[in-house]
Amino acid sequence: MAFSVALHPAFLLVVLSLKTSRSEVLGEPFQLTPEILTVSTESKLQQVNLQWTVPNLTHQELKMAFQIEISRINTSNIVWVENYSTTVKWNQLLHWNWKSEIPLECVTHFIRIRAMVDDAKYLPQNSWSNWSSWKEVSVQVSVAPNTLLIFPDNKLLEEGSNVTICLLYGQYLYNVSCMLQKEPIHGEQLDSHVSLIKLNNVVFHSVSGTNIHCKAMNATKMIFGTVLFVSKVLEEPKNFSCETQDFKTLKCSWEPGVDTALVWSQQDSQSYTLYESFSGRRELCDHRNSHNWQITDDSQETYNFTLTTENNLRKRSVNLIFNLTHRVHQKAPHDVTLENIDARKANMTWKVLSRGNNYILLCQIELQHEREVIHEHNVSVHMSASYLFSDLEPDTKYKARVRCADANHFWKWSDWAQKEFCTPEAAPSQALDVWRQVRSENGSYVVTLFWKPLLKSQANGKIVSYNIVVENQDRLSESEHYSVPAPALGTQLSLDPCSYKIHITANNSVGVSPESVMVLSNDSGHEEVHEKRIKGTKDGFHISWEPTSGDALGYVVDWCVHSRDQHCDLQWKNLGPNTTSTNITSGAFKPGVRYNFRIFEKSMQQKAQLLEKQTGYTQELAPLENPEVTINNFTSNSFILSWPSYDSDFQSAFIEGYHVYLKSKEMQCHPKGKRMTLPDYWVLCEYEIKDPEQKAFTVENLRPESHYEFLVTPYTSAGQGPNETFTKVMTPDENSNMLLKIILPMTLCVLLIIIACYWKSQWVKEKCYPDIPNPYKSSILSLIKSKKNAHLIMNVKDCIPDVLEVINKVEGPKTQCIVSGNPHNEDVSMKPPSSVPTEDGSSGSVPFFFFENFTYDQSAFDSGSHGLIPGPLKDTPCQLGLLTPPEKLLNVLEKDYMKSLAESPTEETSLIYVSQLASPMGGDKDSLATNPPMPGHCSEYKMQMAVPGRLPSLALSENNSLTSEILLGQGEQ
Amino acid sequence: MSQIKNQLAQLNGSANALFISYYTAQGEPFPNNVDKLCGPNMTDFPPFHANGTEKTKLVELYRMVAYLSASLGNVTRDQRTLNPDAVSLHGKLNATIDTMRGLLSNVLCRLCNKYHVGHVDVTYGPDTSSKDVFQKKKLGCQLLGTYKQVISVVAQAF
Repeated sequence: MAFSVALHPAFLLVVLSLKTSRSEVLGEPFQLTPEILTVSTESKLQQVNLQWTVPNLTHQELKMAFQIEISRINTSNIVWVENYSTTVKWNQLLHWNWKSEIPLECVTHFIRIRAMVDDAKYLPQNSWSNWSSWKEVSVQVSVAPNTLLIFPDNKLLEEGSNVTICLLYGQYLYNVSCMLQKEPIHGEQLDSHVSLIKLNNVVFHSVSGTNIHCKAMNATKMIFGTVLFVSKVLEEPKNFSCETQDFKTLKCSWEPGVDTALVWSQQDSQSYTLYESFSGRRELCDHRNSHNWQITDDSQETYNFTLTTENNLRKRSVNLIFNLTHRVHQKAPHDVTLENIDARKANMTWKVLSRGNNYILLCQIELQHEREVIHEHNVSVHMSASYLFSDLEPDTKYKARVRCADANHFWKWSDWAQKEFCTPEAAPSQALDVWRQVRSENGSYVVTLFWKPLLKSQANGKIVSYNIVVENQDRLSESEHYSVPAPALGTQLSLDPCSYKIHITANNSVGVSPESVMVLSNDSGHEEVHEKRIKGTKDGFHISWEPTSGDALGYVVDWCVHSRDQHCDLQWKNLGPNTTSTNITSGAFKPGVRYNFRIFEKSMQQKAQLLEKQTGYTQELAPLENPEVTINNFTSNSFILSWPSYDSDFQSAFIEGYHVYLKSKEMQCHPKGKRMTLPDYWVLCEYEIKDPEQKAFTVENLRPESHYEFLVTPYTSAGQGPNETFTKVMTPDENSNMLLKIILPMTLCVLLIIIACYWKSQWVKEKCYPDIPNPYKSSILSLIKSKKNAHLIMNVKDCIPDVLEVINKVEGPKTQCIVSGNPHNEDVSMKPPSSVPTEDGSSGSVPFFFFENFTYDQSAFDSGSHGLIPGPLKDTPCQLGLLTPPEKLLNVLEKDYMKSLAESPTEETSLIYVSQLASPMGGDKDSLATNPPMPGHCSEYKMQMAVPGRLPSLALSENNSLTSEILLGQGEQ
Repeated sequence: MSQIKNQLAQLNGSANALFISYYTAQGEPFPNNVDKLCGPNMTDFPPFHANGTEKTKLVELYRMVAYLSASLGNVTRDQRTLNPDAVSLHGKLNATIDTMRGLLSNVLCRLCNKYHVGHVDVTYGPDTSSKDVFQKKKLGCQLLGTYKQVISVVAQAF
């Protein structure tokens, strides 16, 4: 049995070989019809897989060609024909696949195949075999009523590609419209339940995909949809390169391009794979844009890399072949040092990573100052190198840097290795640019020295101070030293009027600058030269001058930046010996500001002599203000207008003259003036004063008692001054002066007479009729009124009466009088008052009080009141108190007088003062004349008698010899 | 009970914003076809009767929130994959699920303490893992549309 099994294949081989040899010999054509074994589908990929065999194949290997046909919907609708050639082995299963553009769920496909021997070892066959039978290819899906199925589902495709969307309608569903995001899309109806929508050149919308939705227009109006996942096109990696720094690792890098990742696990970011063909190594890159490839074989010099990027849809590759020694990216130099040799030289040293003595590097050296490359040089280096920087600036910061590359096979420069350094200071190399300003003050020179700061390249370090040596040329032994600390740019010296030689130097920490020398002569600051006017431009001034001597060392032009200010800010410009003109420009120049330039000639002896003065404006402006005008010699026919001078520094331009405007009604202008008629009969006369030095103007031919208005305004080349309000004047009357001459003396005379008369009357009055003091205005009255200090009231004991007069010559005991006022008789007995006669006839003496008359009232007396002056008695006790001891007087009043008050409530007045000049009774002036009250001796005060107002009339008989007593009855008032 | 009411009010207050955030993140046609794509026409959504007793309402609320919580978990998972950049939507979904978990705990506590109900049978939504992307979007939108509508009724019922 085993033997037979072993023989069977051998037998077959023999038979086959015989058969073949017979065909070869005979050259007969033979046909081999393929047989389809299986037809399967991959719905997701829309792919049809075909599997077949060649059943009658007798050869071990035979090259054959196959033709495959695919039809759609029905077998006659051939949509694809493809020839497929391969070497077929005996009993081999053959595979082929095809991707349909239309989802397989939507339509049925049919497939068949035929074959033809296509082997060179045999006679060429010109005819195909018979077709295999058609095989149906379909994916069965069931669509529910009122449902729409959309294929493909979650389709992944590349941007720019085409896709066919297939719609499968369920029952009752019709009239479906579809949209891609917001754009409507239209398709073709394949049959009653299938329609196709072809989308060309689809665009990337988002990594989340693109929605396609369809809406059925039946009653349900349901929305169905699917998502297309459109990927961006995978890009080829760009700028793929590899290099090494240490011959251990190759660093490969590239630009990856766009990320083609999509969500929903449709597609991850593209992957990158590096394959080296000589070593056969393949590595998946750990980064999107780079990969470190380990050099494992030191002997390998040539590398052939293939970088492949790939996503679900596409694969792209780039290739790179290189020699390792040509891809050396040198490491940055190390151990960089810098050594200052002096202020202008520095030496830099560095080391490089070398691969032997024969390995030469090219190094590039740069010197930077303030980020600007000022020096560049290339040197060849083995292991280490140095480079000398020269021509450096003292006290300056520099940055030196170096980088290297393989000199034999330049690939890339290394990174920079850099070092900063600063050169040391050196002595200032340049003399100071100095100038001076000289003025005399109190018989001595005040010399202000100025100098400009040295440039950094001249100072060679930080200037610490400025040294000034002043040599007296007249007394050579005398010299003074001054030191001005920086950063001062000037100083002031007070010198005697001699000739001086001034040396100025600048010091830094290392040394002294060359000296600057100036010579001051005796007449410095006193030079008088003519001032010339110049016209500036917007940019500045052009100054030119005439040299006076041929051996000038140079010229200096100076000016003040702020000519209007006290702070001058002197500027100067040094010019060469052959210069006779210069342009002075400055951003500080302003229009309307006068600038004064002085041109000095410097002699060989460093002496500066003033050549010229020039003054001008960059731009002249109209005057900003008018002068203050005063009026002189003002008469009825004329007056003179005068005004002060302007300070030239405050003029906004050169004043060329003045305009005088005179305005009035019905005025005649001077022939030299311009006449203009204004509204309301006003006439304006304009006079021009062309001499700017003239500061007065006489206005003549005016009319007396007339109104005039005037305005004086200066004018320059740019215009006249502001139009301010006219000043109004009125000419006086023609006779006013004459009247003044007469009236004034007369008024003075009258005034003198009045004063003399008044003085005389006062004198007469004082002598003859002195003023009677008003008791109410007496200060003592207020003291009495206050009663705060009873003891302040004058005590009668303390008084020294100057008059003592007995009024009532008592002829009987009827009346007793209280006498007061005797200064020399303090012991006058004070008898208690007698009883006063009453209406009921009760007898009683009436008390009479005599006291000094403080309330004499002439008017009351004159009014014919019979000398009776009714008045309030409120102050009576006080008045009494003046002459009577209060306790006694009050006793009297309490007993009698107050009693009478109580009896007569309707009568307020209880005391009546009677002047001793008044008529004693009933207006009988004659009786007064016959019996005038006679004071005891001469006194300035008149005696006055107070009588209780309600006292009943005394029953007086004519026989009674009462001469100066007044009796008052109630009815008589 | 007040905590339950507060949590319901909180869910009711945030439901509309979550709904809008969701359909906006899905892109067209969702924002312009909210009624058709996101209409509350879920058949298996647990019922809720606002006029029932408190016990009944609490039991129905428990079922509903359990259903919603599970379904929103699936939606959140899908959206993390489908819209990885929609951070705002993810935050809202997570916050809603967190609140629902707290609400479930409180409702169960209330049922247990007051009504001695220790267990409630719950139902969950259908498995959507096999659905295509558009269907997942649509189902999520329908869920949130239903949730927005129901939660307002529930919040008023308590």
